[in-house]
Amino acid sequence: MAKKKGCLGCSLPVAIILVVLVLAAVIVGLLAGPLGRAFNIEGLPSWLTLDTPHIKLPADTIFTLFGLPVTNTLLATWLTIIVLSLLFWFGFRKPKMVPGRLQSALEAALGWIYDLCVTTAGEKDGRRFFPFVSTLFLFIITSAWMALIPGFASILVHFKGGGSAELLRSTGTDLSTTLALALITFFTVEIIGFKRLGFGYLGKFFQFGGLARGFKMLFSKKTRGKAVMEIFTGVITAFTGLLELVSEFVRIISLSFRLFGNMLAGEILLLMMAFLIPYFLPLPFYGLELLVGFIQALVFASLAILYLSVAVMPHKAEH
Amino acid sequence: MEMEAAKFLAAGLAIALGTLGPGIGLGMIGSNMLSGIARNPDASGAMFTNMILIAGLTEAVAIYALIVSILLIFVA
Repeated sequence: MAKKKGCLGCSLPVAIILVVLVLAAVIVGLLAGPLGRAFNIEGLPSWLTLDTPHIKLPADTIFTLFGLPVTNTLLATWLTIIVLSLLFWFGFRKPKMVPGRLQSALEAALGWIYDLCVTTAGEKDGRRFFPFVSTLFLFIITSAWMALIPGFASILVHFKGGGSAELLRSTGTDLSTTLALALITFFTVEIIGFKRLGFGYLGKFFQFGGLARGFKMLFSKKTRGKAVMEIFTGVITAFTGLLELVSEFVRIISLSFRLFGNMLAGEILLLMMAFLIPYFLPLPFYGLELLVGFIQALVFASLAILYLSVAVMPHKAEH
Repeated sequence: MEMEAAKFLAAGLAIALGTLGPGIGLGMIGSNMLSGIARNPDASGAMFTNMILIAGLTEAVAIYALIVSILLIFVA
């Protein structure tokens, strides 16, 4: 086997030239950007200057379809759906016992999500909730990572009345999409809870049994002494149940805003870093964005399976 | 104080105070994770997955503060 030369596989002069080129690009980028503007460097060619990036919060409408507005995040969602469908279709078109590369990669991903489901919810329930949770995970991670592909947000659409917008924008940066995902998760959890436990599901939230028992104990002379304690714990239990009911609804807000905030903050961070230091130095932030996309998909899917497994847990009767 | 100045002041204050708690919380999660690995290195896989999940939940609280700050600057 030939001995590897120098550093990083290149001979030393080539490595030195590469480092010098990278440093030159970084320094030119720094001087041309807003950090260099503090030193009042004039007369830069127009292809080196950037105007301040304009951060838009709501997604721009690109066109209307049957009277409904189609935003750039909706186009990105459709693209995510197409990419995911094609990926899995090609991977499992001719499944083999000894899988090829794509099939084994997809099987590894699905197996990992299946382990997550089964560890949280048990064997039977984990299998039952696996399609929903894996759809959530794969959709969020694909839409988050697709937005990092260079050139994704660079196609501009110029409108007839002036103004321009990007053709595609990361799906998670639209509160509508994340709210839709959160609502789907919420309704799935509630409906599965009702299906599994019947109306006993409501018994988890409205626990007035202890309170009623305490009041009944007031009437018979035998148990009057312990009645006050029973009423006290009954009040606390009832209050806890109502608090749990409120927290069920707060889940919608927390799920949607967690994903929305992370994706939006990541987009703004990358935009600002690319604006401040144009060459090579935004790379660590791209790495951060990859990690954040994966973590947010994992958190959303884990919370979904957690809520589902809690919803089907039968409420233990207390005495 | 004019509206613009108040908006920017509020935005800065929101994010500064809002990331105080989650910063401490994330540090505590990390330190407990490290002591867990030190005690039982074989279970570090499961511990790592759980740590990422809990860190994501804690980070969300800081993101809520960021959302308020962004809303103040761009929408309000």
